[in-house]
Amino acid sequence: MADERLRRWAAERVGELLARAEEEALAEARTLLRDALVEAALEHGEASAPGAGRRDAPLREPPPRERRQPLAQPAAGPIGEAQWLYAVGPGGAGAEPVSITGVADAPVHTVEEGGLTALVSPVPMPEFGGEMLKESLNDLGWLEEVARAHQRVVDEAFERGPVVPLRLCTIYESGDRVRTLLREDGDRFTRLIQSIEGREEWSVKLYVDPERLETEAVAHSGKTAPDPGLGAGGAYLAKRKTDRFTREEGDRLAGAIAEEVHARLQDWASDAVVGRPQNPELSGHSGQMLLNGAYLVESDGSERFGQLVDELQGRYAELGARLEISGPWPPYNFITSDP
Amino acid sequence: MADDSPLPSQRASALPSQRPGALPGRPEQANLADILERVLDKGIVIAGDIQINLLDIELLTIKLRLIIASVERAQEMGIDWWESDPGLSSGAKSRDSDKLEKENRELRERLERLEQRLEIGQDEQAASGQGGGDGG
Repeated sequence: MADERLRRWAAERVGELLARAEEEALAEARTLLRDALVEAALEHGEASAPGAGRRDAPLREPPPRERRQPLAQPAAGPIGEAQWLYAVGPGGAGAEPVSITGVADAPVHTVEEGGLTALVSPVPMPEFGGEMLKESLNDLGWLEEVARAHQRVVDEAFERGPVVPLRLCTIYESGDRVRTLLREDGDRFTRLIQSIEGREEWSVKLYVDPERLETEAVAHSGKTAPDPGLGAGGAYLAKRKTDRFTREEGDRLAGAIAEEVHARLQDWASDAVVGRPQNPELSGHSGQMLLNGAYLVESDGSERFGQLVDELQGRYAELGARLEISGPWPPYNFITSDP
Repeated sequence: MADDSPLPSQRASALPSQRPGALPGRPEQANLADILERVLDKGIVIAGDIQINLLDIELLTIKLRLIIASVERAQEMGIDWWESDPGLSSGAKSRDSDKLEKENRELRERLERLEQRLEIGQDEQAASGQGGGDGG
């Protein structure tokens, strides 16, 4: 049903979104082109320098030039099966495969190397390579299925211990290639695992009912609404003024609540990230989302964190604000940068 | 620990997880927006063998469709802290969308002014036609 909502929403706004996407894409393309030119110039200068192998920094996003190459050559990809990578965790005890199936309904298994364990499952090729994958990703129903399957596996692994989730569509040709990755980037994975060990991510969202908030805001502002004028035109203008006044007071209060809630949670958490407000067509929320925060919390402190959310909820409920907490999530929002 | 959750009522709906003890199907309940903003935008990026560049135009379109909420209203309210997230915005992107937001806002304001003028005109006509009756 989320899918249905999504389709409807996408259909309604497709023109506007495409225009916006196009603008962004152009900007992106310009950047890529510039980077590629700079790189080409640099490479030309260093043409004689050895060891500029393509896998010298595999954990980083590859430079634009490399990024685009494989996409233009879908046929170069393997036929048969490739390995979809979900997450990397520590090896040894607890490194069992998860009990659920993953993407494409395939069984998930582990690849171990150098004290690390990767969770992988086979995906059929060429369906999961190059152009076909790109096309599939544009099918919202397909995307939802894959995204949920990916998250399900990462989530179950996370229940057993710290794991570093990989972005959707990280695919290797074979288990051996995954082993190579674990060997070459072992240190980095180990550091990342340590940085999130014993911690979990909690999502806290703040919603308001804008009308109720405005009413409360005006009542609490201590100011009086503008005087109604004389005659029909005057009354109309006065109403516009009052509406604007109400809206401004509502906005001010909303901003204050969102900042206060975030500040309190941030103080308490090890780390915090604020995301964009979600699209209601997708999330299905009612009211207005004022805060979409992710908080990194020590696992043994999550109960206290929940109480804090409860306390804040109690404080702002009468103003028409509502807090929603969900978790624990694997710390997706906190492993993106170098520890 | 989630067994004696202090917030059962609020946690009930969007709960992606409830440790310990895996409840199969539990993440199904998680809201799709929560999942997509994580698996498409977060998580470590490494260069796999089969590369699908998440900045590709097609996928960028998906991300726009799915992740970007109606941020306009929030920005009007001065809530724009996500703009500082480098994962979500590059300078060029936010400049572009700022421009769009501004243009939208200006257009809306013009429309409001026009509507206002139009309605006042009608009100005054009606009022004078009825000999000054209370038109409220």
